[in-house]
Amino acid sequence: MTAVGPDTPRSDADAKVRGLANYGVDYREAGMLHARLLRSPVAAGRVTRLDVSTARSVPGVHAVVTAEQAPEHRNGLVLFDTPFFASDTVLYEGEPIAMVVADTPRQAQSAVDTIGLEIEEWEPISNVTEALAPDARLLHPDLDSYQILPGASSWPKSGNCGGVLTSDPGGVDEAFETADFIVEDTFTVPRQYQAYLEPKSATASYDGWRWTLHVSHQFPFQVRSRVAQALGVTDSRIRVVGHHMGGGFGARLDLGLEQYAAIGASLTGRTVQLVNDRTEDLISTMSRENATIKVRSGVTKEGRIVAREFECLMDGGAYAGDTVYLTSIPMFMVGSVYRVGPTRVTAKSVYTNTAPSGAFRGVSGTYICFALERHTDRLAEAIGMDRREFRLRNLFESGDSMLNGQTLEDADILREAFDRVEEVAPWSEAGKGSLKGVGLAATIWLTNPLAGSATLSIQQDGSLGVSTAATENGSGAVTMGVRQIAAAQFGLAAEQVFVTAPDTDTQGYDAGSQGSRTTHVVGMAVQAAAKQLKPRLFNIASGLLGALPDDLELSGGSVCVRDDPSRTVSLATVARTAFGLGGPLSATGAYNVPLPKWDPDSAEGLLFPVFPVPTYHVHLAEVEVDPDDGAVRVTRYVVAQEVGRMINPDGVYGQIQGGVAQGMGYALWEGLETKDGRYTRRTLESYGLPLAVDVPDVEIIILEHPCEAGPYGAKGAAEPPIVPVAAVIANAVSDATGANITSLPIDPEEVLLAIDKRREG
Amino acid sequence: MQFLAPMTVDEALGALSEREDGLRVLAGGTDVMIQRMTGQLPRSESLLYIGGITDLSGVHLSDGTICIGALTTHHDLRCNPVIGTDLPSFAEAAATVGGWQTQAVGTIGGNLCNASPAADLAPPLLAADATLVVSGEDGPQRIPANRFFLGRRRTALPVGQILLKIEVPVPPAATWESYLKVGRRSAMEVALVGLAARFSLAGGLVETARLAVCSVAPVPLRLAHAEAALVGSTLDQGAVAIAAQRSMEEIDPIDDQRATASYRRMLVGRLLGKAARLAREGLEIQ
Ligand SMILES: Cc1cc2nc3c(=O)[nH]c(=O)nc-3n(C[C@H](O)[C@H](O)[C@H](O)COP(=O)(O)OP(=O)(O)OC[C@H]3O[C@@H](n4cnc5c(N)ncnc54)[C@H](O)[C@@H]3O)c2cc1C
Repeated sequence: MTAVGPDTPRSDADAKVRGLANYGVDYREAGMLHARLLRSPVAAGRVTRLDVSTARSVPGVHAVVTAEQAPEHRNGLVLFDTPFFASDTVLYEGEPIAMVVADTPRQAQSAVDTIGLEIEEWEPISNVTEALAPDARLLHPDLDSYQILPGASSWPKSGNCGGVLTSDPGGVDEAFETADFIVEDTFTVPRQYQAYLEPKSATASYDGWRWTLHVSHQFPFQVRSRVAQALGVTDSRIRVVGHHMGGGFGARLDLGLEQYAAIGASLTGRTVQLVNDRTEDLISTMSRENATIKVRSGVTKEGRIVAREFECLMDGGAYAGDTVYLTSIPMFMVGSVYRVGPTRVTAKSVYTNTAPSGAFRGVSGTYICFALERHTDRLAEAIGMDRREFRLRNLFESGDSMLNGQTLEDADILREAFDRVEEVAPWSEAGKGSLKGVGLAATIWLTNPLAGSATLSIQQDGSLGVSTAATENGSGAVTMGVRQIAAAQFGLAAEQVFVTAPDTDTQGYDAGSQGSRTTHVVGMAVQAAAKQLKPRLFNIASGLLGALPDDLELSGGSVCVRDDPSRTVSLATVARTAFGLGGPLSATGAYNVPLPKWDPDSAEGLLFPVFPVPTYHVHLAEVEVDPDDGAVRVTRYVVAQEVGRMINPDGVYGQIQGGVAQGMGYALWEGLETKDGRYTRRTLESYGLPLAVDVPDVEIIILEHPCEAGPYGAKGAAEPPIVPVAAVIANAVSDATGANITSLPIDPEEVLLAIDKRREG
Repeated sequence: MQFLAPMTVDEALGALSEREDGLRVLAGGTDVMIQRMTGQLPRSESLLYIGGITDLSGVHLSDGTICIGALTTHHDLRCNPVIGTDLPSFAEAAATVGGWQTQAVGTIGGNLCNASPAADLAPPLLAADATLVVSGEDGPQRIPANRFFLGRRRTALPVGQILLKIEVPVPPAATWESYLKVGRRSAMEVALVGLAARFSLAGGLVETARLAVCSVAPVPLRLAHAEAALVGSTLDQGAVAIAAQRSMEEIDPIDDQRATASYRRMLVGRLLGKAARLAREGLEIQ
């Protein structure tokens, strides 16, 4: 029996279903105060008056905080461009200007409403085109003087560009000359809001020296260092305790409200809680960046892609956040999956007067894949070749290298994925009929390599405790993945293992739930800890059993003699004995993924250099378009995904179904458009999340190629299923209607017009 | 702020006559509570919860008239056999209001009295030539549907009165009706366009044609010119094309975050075509 495999329920399901689980917003302390922020009502301008005198005298108010009381220095994830509170200028709608701390949220809000704020409004720089115009106002005139994260290598930035990546290996123009056809496409995509159920919150207290923060956050250690950085104190003065998280999808990787709760706590000496309302959350969260993408490729009559040029302008919003890192993502997608010949890449993270954008599941990949795979269809069309045949002809094989110089040792899996999709949904039969269509897309994705750790301890009752700062973001990575791996290491059932909530005071470093890393990296850390712990456990058991440690094995919660299973001692007895012999049976393990080789000269500004432990994905969708309103119905969705090995099939299937749903939202309904720098959709009522009634049951094909350096062979699985979704659906809609879909969400009006045109033509 | 919960119509009217200022009728609350939360209605306003007045809910058929109590929920409209048989467009419209949760508590009275330009029950009401029965100064008064909607969130319901019920004559034999709604998703959508169509035949030809739309003007409205183009026809392509053309001229849609005016215009014409297609099948017009 092993705890790795099917039919292991997650440990948090019952509490979540019954409403017993406490999330960050549920956290309470006696005597706790509540804060509200005054956020900028306009996208850009100069603050001419900020009068908080009335606010201070509102009943129940304990503190009013503005830039005057806050640290002066700027902070940031990698580029320190963000002030604590806006003071002279405001750069986006929703930017915090002041905070009131009061006995109740209502009192705090009433006091916020009394603040005298006058702003001389400026015409906002609302998109990348305006921002890159030669005479554009600079959002950050002092950009050159900003500090960057110690240890980060510097990168090109200037004007309204917070970061530029360029890769020009030479030979691109010559290669274009060998092409028979050249196709150029431009794509635009809007922002996507993570729309987790639990709005952002933070609760902080202060004891005169250290701050304690209670959060629901994907990355407690990031909160620790970022709050420390924002306050200008050392990391160890901050303690971060994690609680159940109502979804994150990348939006809870950087600071949200934590620094504000922290300063409120130290100024009042009381515990302070701050919770976003939904509109506040929607307008201020770092959503997936909007972008404009240009792809140009040369192709031969025989169907070979011979040259490519790719340009991507990412709207990073008013402060850079992590979009500076994201400019590297094209290096793993533009010349992967298909061989494309010499390729030139430019990617820019651009400042605009909009909320800072940032990480969202499948960072930048969703739209890069959309652009590339729409373009792939267009290339096939240009030479009159079948779209699937064209893909197979240019498909990567094991040993091919990506643009960063990293070799994909197992890229042949792509071929297998195409074949397996073909078995269930034969291309020649798919999407046939009036206003029906089929689309196909493929991608690779990474497993985030950053470090993690776990401490295992055998409890006196023989169960196993896992203490780790890894976070359960809802995917089951901790409550299934890590827990099952730990159980399997000791021959226990998963029910005999518990995993603690994160606490940065007592646990080793963990790089948070991002890039599908938790099961893989923390699973490896668990194995490393188990490797240290087992010899000690066997040593003690050997004394109890009178057998050599080497002759012992673990099974069903006991240690037994391999050749004489009647001689056993329970783990409980072993653990209790250990206590008497000078200490608990515990050990700590850590792991980070060794980085594959890459070519540091492949690009300038490559801050995020590799795609470690790559996985391979092929998606197919069939759609039907309504002739009367242009609405797209996805009638069939097939995913072939390589995962290394499934630790919990329910978990993997759930992540794929959910990723496809979220990708469908991006393709068909969601999107934050701005008008004059302000989001037009400002509530979940108008935002357009996908609904259960509109999402088909996804047909899932799992490919297992166990990863040698992975826990039981597991690779990352949860992030990537969102990546190809918009691409396949757009390709299917184009197939069904003749509409050349170049923007998201797919516009039914455009689809209707294309249908008319095809009918007339 | 006060919360009053009368159990009879008289009690409700008594409360209303005592305090005409700031007493808001509350039925299912799916509009009122959101409008309070978003500041469209003052939070200080007192509430008169009429949900306890049992007389005001349910569907009754008598003397060739179908009476729909103002408190009838969308769920009940969707499932009621009389509505399903005789007024399917009401059932279809109710089935598109929000999601199941909204339908469980939201009422037809609330939908009509809220008078949103996008109210889904308004087009069926208009197409059925229904009558709204309101409490009146001295006993119930009748307001024809086509005089009820005055503007966005403005109705002919006098201040201090409540809507009691809706009366709809049972449609003649050989009548087909339907409500067609376009939203981006299959539920939880404010209509981009909603169209109620009702056709009655006599001698194989359309004797009466009634078309009503929401979300394409400040108020839900009848498309009188388009209707006229279909009377006497067999809903043939020629007549329908003329009607579709006229329908697009009769409306006044706007661009907003949900859709462009041009898309809404296209939709009205196409929905009309779809309704005609479905009606020809339903009425077995050769
Ligand atoms: C999530 C969600 C989705 C929705 N989707 C839709 C949709 O798809 N289509 C749609 O049309 N609407 C939709 N709505 C709006 C709303 O649900 C409907 O309009 C519903 O029918 C309102 O009924 P109610 O009983 O809840 O009204 P309430 O909110 O109680 O009242 C609405 C208004 O009518 C007045 N009122 C109510 N009853 C009477 C009466 N008998 N006499 C006098 N005045 C009265 C109230 O004073 C108030 O002004 C949605 C709402 C929500 C919250």
